[in-house]
Amino acid sequence: MSTLHKKYQPFITLLCRILLGGVLLVAGGLKAFKPSESASAVAAYKILPTNLAHLMGYALPWLEIALGILLIIGLTTRLAAVVGTAIMIVFIAAIISVWARGILIDCGCFGGGGEVDPSKAAEAHSAYLKEILRDLGLALCGTYLYFFPYGRLSIEKPLHNIEEQ
Amino acid sequence: MAKQAKATKASGGDNFTRWLVIGMVTLVVASGAIFSVVGEKSKANESFAILNDFKVGPTVTSTVDDANGAGITFNNGAAKTIDIWEDPQCPVCNTFEQANGEFIDDLVRAKKANVVYHVLSFLGNESVSASNAAYCAADEARYLDFHKAMYLVQPVLENSGFYSTENLIKIGSYAGLTSQSFIDCVTKGSKLDKVKAAYESMAKYNVQGTPTVFFNGKLWERKNNGFILEEFAAAFEAS
Repeated sequence: MSTLHKKYQPFITLLCRILLGGVLLVAGGLKAFKPSESASAVAAYKILPTNLAHLMGYALPWLEIALGILLIIGLTTRLAAVVGTAIMIVFIAAIISVWARGILIDCGCFGGGGEVDPSKAAEAHSAYLKEILRDLGLALCGTYLYFFPYGRLSIEKPLHNIEEQ
Repeated sequence: MAKQAKATKASGGDNFTRWLVIGMVTLVVASGAIFSVVGEKSKANESFAILNDFKVGPTVTSTVDDANGAGITFNNGAAKTIDIWEDPQCPVCNTFEQANGEFIDDLVRAKKANVVYHVLSFLGNESVSASNAAYCAADEARYLDFHKAMYLVQPVLENSGFYSTENLIKIGSYAGLTSQSFIDCVTKGSKLDKVKAAYESMAKYNVQGTPTVFFNGKLWERKNNGFILEEFAAAFEAS
């Protein structure tokens, strides 16, 4: 590992934690208290059977909030990052799936959601691409955190620091 | 890539933290989801309050015209025909109903027009369930009442769980539908073949969205942005 990376790694870890954790926390917080909106948004993907989609709509915002808090405070970062990356991959797959099936929806990532008027097809398609790229970036953050979970300003006592001393 | 050192020395303590966190997260997610489910249930119950003073009309029999997109047909043979294409979850259909529903109901009950309801289901699974229930109600000669009650409680959001089997049966109970045959029909989805046929006939009649109205087979193009009863009534008279 280059010394340069070693020097900046704790800061990159912090940045990744704040990016992934912050987005999850905001996304979850905006949806958690609008359960019917969230349930409707998940159902609009037409992937899960209705009942399961609604259950996911109710539960997902709370999972996002929990992961967001864990990442921001830096507690069990590695585990939270693995789960966070996994849900980003699920989101990417879901968006690719609706795109491929020609369904026009608002992703409902930060609240809202549901079908989009066919006259706004071009906007919806460019939104899909942006969402995929954003989630890909966040998944990369999560992957980085899997390999380097210990950084600045975290509750977790970075044991490797003790070992190094 | 070199992984950062795992917490080997205090692995006992670290495992404890990990399981504690997993437990807490599970608890938060589960209680959050339960909170949401309970909240939605009580909200749904509140929205039924509007039906408390719902008045059920006399029964009106209808037929299902398989040759005309499985439309629910009233007064077949009357001089003037109105074809109405609606989706139970479409908010604009609700606006249409609130403006013109009473007028159309009167036309049907007074046998002044051959009215055909094409109950569509292109807005997702809950439209399918609601359309099925509408056909079930038609079987019991209560389509008009059910249809009216259903639009009165129409949820703002599509596919958010409101048109569940349980709630559709409840809507029916307000619209004079308490028979076991109706409940069975809603529960089993006995009319799904009709629902599918209605949906598939959209292309044949070149129906692009809802609500769409045809007077004697001619597409009605409204001049006003909103729905105005006078405009609809005049268009019917002129047809």
